[in-house]
This record gives sequence, structure tokens and C-alpha cells, in this order.
Amino acid sequence: MGTTVHPSQSVAVAENGRHLCSRFAGNPHRIPNEGGAVLAARGGRVETLTHAAFPVERGVSAHRGGRARTGAGLSIRVSTSAGHESIGNHTMTEFQPNALCFGDEFPASGVPCLVHIEDHGLTITFPLDRDGVERQSEALRFSELTVSAGGLDHDQLVATWVGPTGQRTLYLKSPDVIRAFRQAAPDHLSQPLDRAAEQVRQVRQRHRMVWSIVGGALLVVVLGLWFGSDVLVELAVDRIPVEWERKLGESTYHDFLAHQDVMKEGPAVDAVNEMIHRLTGQISENPYTFEVTVVKSDVVNAFALPGGYIVVFTGLMKKAESGEEVAGVLAHELNHVLQRHGLERIIKQLGFVAVVSIVLGNPPGLGGMMKQLGVELMTLKFGRAQETEADLTGLELLYRAKIDPSGMITFFQRLAEKDEGRVEWLSTHPMSHARAEGLKTKLAEMPKLNPEPFTFEWTNVRASQGAPISPPR
Amino acid sequence: MKSEILYPGAFPMVRVELAEGEHIKAESGAMVACSPTIDIESKMEGGFLGALSRKFLTGEKFFFQTLRASRGAGEVLLAPTVPGEIIVLDLDSVNEYMVQKDGFLAGAEGVVIDSQMQSMSRGLLGGEGFFILKMSGKGMLALNSFGAIHKIELKPGQEYIVDNSHLVAWSTTTTYNIEKATSGWVASFTSGEGFVCRFRGPGVVYIQSRNPGSFGAWVRQFIPVSQ
Repeated sequence: MGTTVHPSQSVAVAENGRHLCSRFAGNPHRIPNEGGAVLAARGGRVETLTHAAFPVERGVSAHRGGRARTGAGLSIRVSTSAGHESIGNHTMTEFQPNALCFGDEFPASGVPCLVHIEDHGLTITFPLDRDGVERQSEALRFSELTVSAGGLDHDQLVATWVGPTGQRTLYLKSPDVIRAFRQAAPDHLSQPLDRAAEQVRQVRQRHRMVWSIVGGALLVVVLGLWFGSDVLVELAVDRIPVEWERKLGESTYHDFLAHQDVMKEGPAVDAVNEMIHRLTGQISENPYTFEVTVVKSDVVNAFALPGGYIVVFTGLMKKAESGEEVAGVLAHELNHVLQRHGLERIIKQLGFVAVVSIVLGNPPGLGGMMKQLGVELMTLKFGRAQETEADLTGLELLYRAKIDPSGMITFFQRLAEKDEGRVEWLSTHPMSHARAEGLKTKLAEMPKLNPEPFTFEWTNVRASQGAPISPPR
Repeated sequence: MKSEILYPGAFPMVRVELAEGEHIKAESGAMVACSPTIDIESKMEGGFLGALSRKFLTGEKFFFQTLRASRGAGEVLLAPTVPGEIIVLDLDSVNEYMVQKDGFLAGAEGVVIDSQMQSMSRGLLGGEGFFILKMSGKGMLALNSFGAIHKIELKPGQEYIVDNSHLVAWSTTTTYNIEKATSGWVASFTSGEGFVCRFRGPGVVYIQSRNPGSFGAWVRQFIPVSQ
């Protein structure tokens, strides 16, 4: 800004610079277009005053600015509450506050200030506020201060003193300043300082302790659920009457069949009925009346619903090379019903969701994700355990019904190896090597069996399903 | 960087003027319109893990969008999702604010955003979850609320009680305790307040005039149940 301004004018600006600023800031059109100094006052701040014709003005500004840094008085800090501007043509040091000062005459959010620790005490430098009221540096002796820890996390150093205008409070946050303060502070302050530091330590320690206790408790609950839930679920399942279970299964069964092509008669239905008859005849104290339906579908699947409702898909029968293989699957499914696995699963899932909801509430984000994950994991683990149980009891049932159990094992293994088509039975019954091995071991332990053949010819049954006469091996 | 709030009230927008090379971080989806000189980048503040943790822990959006005036000066219009006021704070590297997870709208490049873990009682009972955002650094910070924003100014030692679901932001020089609204447990919940926060100055607490949770519950009764 190189406009030439009459010296007297410039002094006037300097004397009233602040007032000009506030008067013209809201209404720039009224600013008389008389020169650089006035223009500089637009926008509410003194922008740059560098004209060579202003020696007096600079001196005055330096005085009013409150903090002359260098001997020449050329570094002036002026700031408004809207931001901090530094002016001066030699050093451009920006006002970098490191503390907040509170007091009756300050705004509630505190005034940013620069705290400098010295041997005898500290110097606080305030920025200028909007009205241009001078707030020069305030020097404080350590003896005037009371110190404590404060702030949201008790990690700030709070110094209070009584100034000429009432009580003031200083919040120090920067660790460097706090360290410098502690080093410089005399003995009589070190006690409250230590107390403050101790307070911070205690708060942190307490936080750590609380979190570890909570973490531990959560772990215990999760582990308890994981290992202890089986017992609890069994207890709950025992109290539910079979009649309820039947109703539960029945509605699902009829809903499912309503959309399916049900096979009413034929060699396949007869064969399945014969298998079920032989198997159920070996079940002692059977509270269920089993109902089996053959559904025309290429899906390789069979499932059991709570209450004794079993569905076999013709796709499964086409895949099987003998009646014994299908009987193996049926024995497995029958045991799901007998062990009330469906009910267990429902109760476990409901219970787990309830417990997790109680523990975590219904939080978005983490909680929701954990809940989802937990439920999935739980059902997965539960599923595996149930499958193994149904395998072993199914094997025993086959044995008692004098049906060759090796068909069950080979069929499961074959289904697992050949991953073709829609073998849905596998997705709910993951066939692991260990599972097959477990069955083989179990079978080897059993005394030799003289199996009784079925009355039907399996090749005829398969042919009735449209399967090729030769086995698809 | 200059900012201006347009249409103050229930449906405001912020207009931010960016000089060439300047950029601003905003909540993803906050951009309404901008000059053709502005490039929109998505950025995971604090790296992938930081973004992931913020997403899962605070429920804050996974990405921030960065609006950069890379091809010359320009302006950006930003707006929050919910109806409610916007305030612009000026951080000066000393003032720090804790902000509830939905409160962040935009911040200048100098503003540092941290997810911070709260203490047990605050996390469990405060209604803000265990993680809230801590804003520090330097520059413009725009916050949004549900309803109008009210500023409570607290002198050193002065106390004020706020229903926890109405909190938007508070300065870190304040402290607060979670309390039951009334002396009895039953009355505390039947009064409809449950837990409240007792703030203690010095500092500033920004509150919103509407409670998002209660509003959600109120709206729910009018949503037809799908078959």
C-alpha cells in the first residue's frame, strides 16, 4: 500500500485506529477514500502499515499493540477474536497460544494466551481483543498460584490466582509447558503439583483397572456362554413339551410343502417308508410319530423339522447307489429330531441374542457387529456339535435296525468329494475328514453285523426317478 | 478459507471459499455443490485402520471426503443429513472440543480428528457410546446438530445439567459426571430423563434443542409395518 498520506492523518489513524476499525468494519462504503491508512482499516483489522511516512504511527502502534518484541519496537502482535494477524515489517512472529485463561471478564470458552515459564514465576501474554483493550503481559510469581489437575481427562494443569479483577484460572495442556512448570516451580508448589500428577496417574490407573475388569468380565461371560450354554439349553429344552415342538414343526412343514411337488406314491415313497419303518422300530420310548414326505426336486438334500417331520428330495435318492446310503441319511436326520436339535438351536440363538442384547444394549457399530458375529459363530459351533451327535447316534440306529452302516459313511464321503450340482445337504452338513474318520472308528468298534437287505430293488427305485440304470460313478 | 452459513435455521448450508491449493475435510456425503475447480477425493483419515476403527467404534462414516481446490480457487456448499443448525467454531490450537459422533460436518485441513475412548461410566451411561470424536488443531470446524444449537457458557466452577442425548460438543476444559436425573431410580426413568450430565466449568457446552433418539421413536409409530 503505497498511497501517500499526510503525516498528521496517519497519526490520527494510529491514535484511533481501533475505533476506526470498529466503526467502519460494518459499513465499508462510508470509509472516506483518503489513503492507505484508512483503507488498511477495512475488514476490521489493521492490515499493513508499512509506509515510510509513518514513523510516529509505528511507534504508537507498538505501544498499543502491547508487546514489542524487538528493541526497535517493530514486531507488534495484534489480534482480534476472529483470528490472529501479525503485522510488522521486520519479524513476522505469529501469536501461538499454549494455554487458556478463564476469568470473570473473559468469554466462557477462555482466552488463548501464551504462557512463558521463568525462574520466578510465569508470564502470560494475552492477545488483543476486539475492542482494542490492552491486555499486556501479566507476570505472576509462583507464590501467588494454587495448582491442581483438571480438564475432561484430568490431564491439564490448572493454576488459579486472584488478580486485580477477580479470580483467574489458567489451563495448561501442553506436556512441555507442564514439565517446565514443574521444574521451575518452588518447593511450596511442588506438593500440590505432585498431588495433581498423582491425581492424573490415579485417574489413568482407575481407567485401566475398570477397563480390564470389564474386559475380564466380558471374557468370563463369553466363555461361560460358550462352554456352559449346552447345559443351560438342555435344561430349557427338557421343559418344553413335545406337543409344542410338533406344532412348531408342523406349521413350517406345511408351509414348505405347499410350494413343493410332493410325491404321493411310487417305488421311491415305498422304499423311504420301509427305511423309516425299520429305523423307527428300533427307537425305544419314541414320543414322536414320524412323517416323511418325498419331494420331486433335483436338489440333493434331506432335512428334519422339530416334532418328527422329515423331507427327502428325489435328487438325493438319484445320487445314492444303494438303499443303505439313503437310510444312512435318514438315520442321521431322525436323530436330529430325537435329540431335539432344532429346538436346542432355536433356544440357543434366542438366548444368546437376549444375553448379548442385555450386555451390550443395542449399539450401532461395534456392538451390532459383535452381536451378529457372536450369533453366527454360536450357531456354527452348535451346528457342528449337533451333526457329530446325529452321526454317531444315527450309526447306532442303523446298526440296531440291521442296515449296513458303511453305506452312510461312503455316501457322505462321496457327496463331499464330488462337488457337482446343488448338493445342499452339504452346506448344512459340512463333511470333514475328521467326521468321516470318527464314524469309521466308531463302526470299527462295533461287533460285526449281518445286515438284512431291504425288500425293494434299489435299481428299480432309481429308475423310477429317471436316473440312468448304471450308477453314475 | 472463509466460511459463511446460508439459510440459518432448520435447513442451513455452509459455503466455504477455498483459495487455490486449500482443502477441507467433510463428512462423506456432505457436499451439496461446488465450483468446477474443486476435486472431491475420499480419504481415510488416520489410515485404513484408523478409518475402520472410527467406523466401527464411533459409528462415524468410514471415509471423509476431501474437497481440494486443486485447479484454482472455488467454493463448496456443504450440508448435513438431519435438519438442524450448523455452527462454525474457530480452533486456535489451544481450544479443543469433544464432539458427539454425528456432530462433525467439516473441518479445515489443520483440524485434527481423533476417536477417543471415554471412561466406563461415561461410555455406558452417557448415551454417546464409548467413543467420541476429539477435535483439536487449528482452523475452521463446522458442527451440525439436530434442531437448534444452544451455547452454554460456564465460568470456572459453574455447573449445569444437560440431558445426555442433547449434547453436541463440549470443550475439554470442562468436566462432567453422569448422574441419575432424580434421586430415585424409578423416578429417574419415569421422569423421562434417565441419565443426565452434570457439567462443571470453565468452558463451553453446545447442546441441540431436539433429541434424535426420541424423534426416531416418535417417527417409528407412523411407519407402516411391512408384511
